[in-house]
Amino acid sequence: MNEHREYTCIVCPNGCPLQVETSGGEKAKFVSVAGNLCPRGARWAKQEVEDPRRTIATNVLVDGGALPVASVRTLDAVPLRDIMAVRESLKEIVLHAPVRAGDIVADHPAGVPCRVAVTRNVPRRG
Amino acid sequence: MKTDYDVVVVGGGVAGCAVARRLAQYRINACLVERELDVSLGTSCRNSGVLHSGINYKPGTLRAELAVRGNAMMDDLCRDLKVKIRRIGKLTVALDKDDIPGIERLHAQGQANGVPGLEIIGPARMRRIQPDVQGIAAVWSPTSAIISPYGLTIALAENAKANGVDIRLGWAVASVNVLPQGRGFEVRNDRGDMLSCRVLVNAAGLFAAKICEMAGIRDYRIYPCRGEYYVLDKRLDGSLRALIYPTPNPKNPGLGIHLTPTVDGNILIGPSADYQNSPRWTGNRASAMASLRDEGLKLLSDIRVSDYIRTFAGLRAKRTPPEVGGNADFVIEDRPDVKGFINVLGIESPGLTSSPAIAEMVLGFVKNHLALTPKTDFNGVRPGSALSFGERSPEERADMIAAEPDYGEMICRCEGVSKREVLDALDNPLGARAFVSLKYRSRVSMGRCQGGFCLPRIVRLLREEFGWKWEDFVNHSAASRMFAGYVSTGGKSDDQ
Amino acid sequence: MISERHCGVAVIGGGPAGLAAAVSACEAGCRDVALIERDRLLGGILNQCIHDGFGLHRFGEAMTGPEYAQRDIDRFSELGLEPMTESMVLELSKERELLISRRGEMLRLRADAVVLAMGCRERPRGALSIPGTRPAGIYTAGAAQNLVNLENIMPGKKVCILGSGDIGLIMARRMTLEGAGVEAVFELLPYSSGLPRNIQQCLNDYGIPLYLNTTVTDIIGEDRLEAVQVSQVDEKRRPIPGTERIFECDTLLLSVGLIPENELTRMAGIEMNPATGGAAVDDDFMTSVSGIFSCGNVLHVHDLVDWVSLEAAEAGARAAAYALGESSRGGSIVVRPGAGVRYTTPSRIGGEKDVSIAFRAVFPGRDRCLVVSADGREILREKRVRLHPAVMEHLGVKAADLKGCRVLEVSVQ
Repeated sequence: MNEHREYTCIVCPNGCPLQVETSGGEKAKFVSVAGNLCPRGARWAKQEVEDPRRTIATNVLVDGGALPVASVRTLDAVPLRDIMAVRESLKEIVLHAPVRAGDIVADHPAGVPCRVAVTRNVPRRG
Repeated sequence: MKTDYDVVVVGGGVAGCAVARRLAQYRINACLVERELDVSLGTSCRNSGVLHSGINYKPGTLRAELAVRGNAMMDDLCRDLKVKIRRIGKLTVALDKDDIPGIERLHAQGQANGVPGLEIIGPARMRRIQPDVQGIAAVWSPTSAIISPYGLTIALAENAKANGVDIRLGWAVASVNVLPQGRGFEVRNDRGDMLSCRVLVNAAGLFAAKICEMAGIRDYRIYPCRGEYYVLDKRLDGSLRALIYPTPNPKNPGLGIHLTPTVDGNILIGPSADYQNSPRWTGNRASAMASLRDEGLKLLSDIRVSDYIRTFAGLRAKRTPPEVGGNADFVIEDRPDVKGFINVLGIESPGLTSSPAIAEMVLGFVKNHLALTPKTDFNGVRPGSALSFGERSPEERADMIAAEPDYGEMICRCEGVSKREVLDALDNPLGARAFVSLKYRSRVSMGRCQGGFCLPRIVRLLREEFGWKWEDFVNHSAASRMFAGYVSTGGKSDDQ
Repeated sequence: MISERHCGVAVIGGGPAGLAAAVSACEAGCRDVALIERDRLLGGILNQCIHDGFGLHRFGEAMTGPEYAQRDIDRFSELGLEPMTESMVLELSKERELLISRRGEMLRLRADAVVLAMGCRERPRGALSIPGTRPAGIYTAGAAQNLVNLENIMPGKKVCILGSGDIGLIMARRMTLEGAGVEAVFELLPYSSGLPRNIQQCLNDYGIPLYLNTTVTDIIGEDRLEAVQVSQVDEKRRPIPGTERIFECDTLLLSVGLIPENELTRMAGIEMNPATGGAAVDDDFMTSVSGIFSCGNVLHVHDLVDWVSLEAAEAGARAAAYALGESSRGGSIVVRPGAGVRYTTPSRIGGEKDVSIAFRAVFPGRDRCLVVSADGREILREKRVRLHPAVMEHLGVKAADLKGCRVLEVSVQ
């Protein structure tokens, strides 16, 4: 029995309202989408039905820096269900100032293949 | 610190602190104990800040006598303690003919109480004082004034401390042991710490009746009566040139909802009056808030929703129960049945005004029990200035900044508070470290954004310069932790 | 002694608007640009916006706030300019004199042109008249965001959020990610005031419920927050008795509106636009005071930083032109909001050049028409599939259509 779902696409600020048809059930398969203004939205809808992924942004501790933490983000989207574990694993990290935007601080957080990069410079304190 | 004293004062409100500062002028060992983390955190930080002239009180009562005397002492006291006072005067207004007998009574009562400068004036003079004031006549009392109530209380306590009085904060009295043969008292807190003294001054405000009971005195009961307030934005500063009160209604447990300008440029709407059971709950209720807004708009139609920046409530320590209302007189007595026990009880309005005169009266009682030799090295002048940094001219500020660079760094944008003032507030002689202690000494977070801008900056300042940890930040009590932990701990637990 | 200085263009605020304006003023030929920022860092609010979604329009990539800010910060230093950080403007006069306080120095800066880019502050609890006590644990969402992202401090562990604007939604996600339990988001209106995709990725992803037509009607807890009481509201936004519910929590985040920080603007006697809370400007972004310009959130609250930068770049360029002696063009055509439109910016235009009018719809709607009329005559009609008050819209109007026009009105039909 096919299911209908409503999503808001998160790829770009347009936030197109999507009407998505799936095959229903636990491991639903993507069937069709309407409402997307571009093909990226269609690709996102399929991904969202079958393997929803997210990028996350959080902070990592910095020792000796002008700020106590450096903001980081995942460069690759991780499965929605792994978000909390990925974040948790980053709590162990302590960077040493100076830290530069673009530095990769992890590539397999919680065993999930995903590069995590610093998004701001943190110079040494003083 | 010692544990045996000549005098222990229970309660760090304005009355207790005034007593402490008066006693500091003598060569005796005195200690003030306060249950909260700083002085002035009870009723003394939650009222209109008005110094009354004395017209509102029945002749022959302590309220009448001590208000007039205390009011007269305030200019010298504030000058020495560096506390801002503004003698703006008060108009008690007769809106129509029916109010005229009321204001005539008030005027006569004021004369009987020895209130200086009283006049009944007509609309022309009224409007020269306050251009848009309604009413056909008013009692003009020029000695009415406004002050910062917590500013005065803190100043009294800090000057007492500077002159040798011990101040113990976070010290809640749990028991009072009356020693035999009138030898004095042992006072214990909830941790079992004990202080002994010959004389105990009970200035415990909302808990004064409880302290009495601990000493076996069962004559009193305190009925908390909540007064709610709105604080209005400084945009309206200047709207009120004097205090404007309605003709009083004797049945009303308060003086009615009115507008009060503050020394800092805000306007208060309030207070309401509602009895309650709890001596601690200082929240606001929707119904009272609605009344305040309605009454406020009647008195000042220019108020916008964006002008409401905060609400608060204070509790009057009333001795009259709800079914009676009105006011009872202060109880300031040297107990004949419990030798050395001095009560300062039921101090609602005009407690702030009366405080230095209350201290005089208590001093007289203390002399019944102790020989008092004046200190030759008493210094009643507090360092600093009544003017805040932001109130000085740009040229003065420039000079102060050149000499002390931290004055140039702004922490609180709304109130114009500099880093130097925050550091001075932190470095207070009482060692008080709650966020409200910084607030009441420096004005941070008291402006229109209510700490939205300055709080993260203060956190950063205290972390960087003093190594404060997340658990060091408490709002107003040990249990009022502001934060829950760190976000990232680098694998360590939150305790490190 | 107050130090005396002079500059060509003074930009007040070093956030995205100030940065773009300063860079643009310099590129337009004014080398003497003073960028005055009260914080230690440039970047303003972007420093604490560590999530991505910034720059999609301007740079074609989804960056985080700090990364977006760094682009302009780098350009600023490439131009050889030094910012004045940890400096607060205390006073601004009509004559373009700024009184600035900084560590060790009080400074009077005379500027040939001024750009106001001070951004916004958050509406605090007091303005909402929420009854109850005043325990620790109540924060505006932005202050909480600052604490979490720049101070490494967790404000609390069990969170309720009042206000479903973007900041509230972003913080719902942020707090959840850091291990807090976000119990609910409450929204006074019958619809969320945040971007729809934020409902998806901040609430739906985490199963956080959104209660519309709901507001907080009591605060419980004397030391630290213990619970909030919420009530449903009627069509006049008044609490409905009998609908009260208690939510246990130790933290309440308030995301209930941004207020443009126009204290300095008012001090200079600049005319305000009551609908935006910002200054009334013309299509050069100049205010009613000659030589003082305004842009960014202090002019009107934006939803996308890309538009802030675009607007600020224009304002900066016009400020530089003014400072270099070009006379201001002025604007005599009044622009005003019509039916269904909450506000329009600018407030007046000259009509000699094409102009982009920014505006916001009053209500959400689908399949609407945006209509621009000049003196009552329709000159432009555009379809919009989706309109939402949370999304700032732009309409391009051609100069040719404005000949002889006195009043321009934008409406939704």
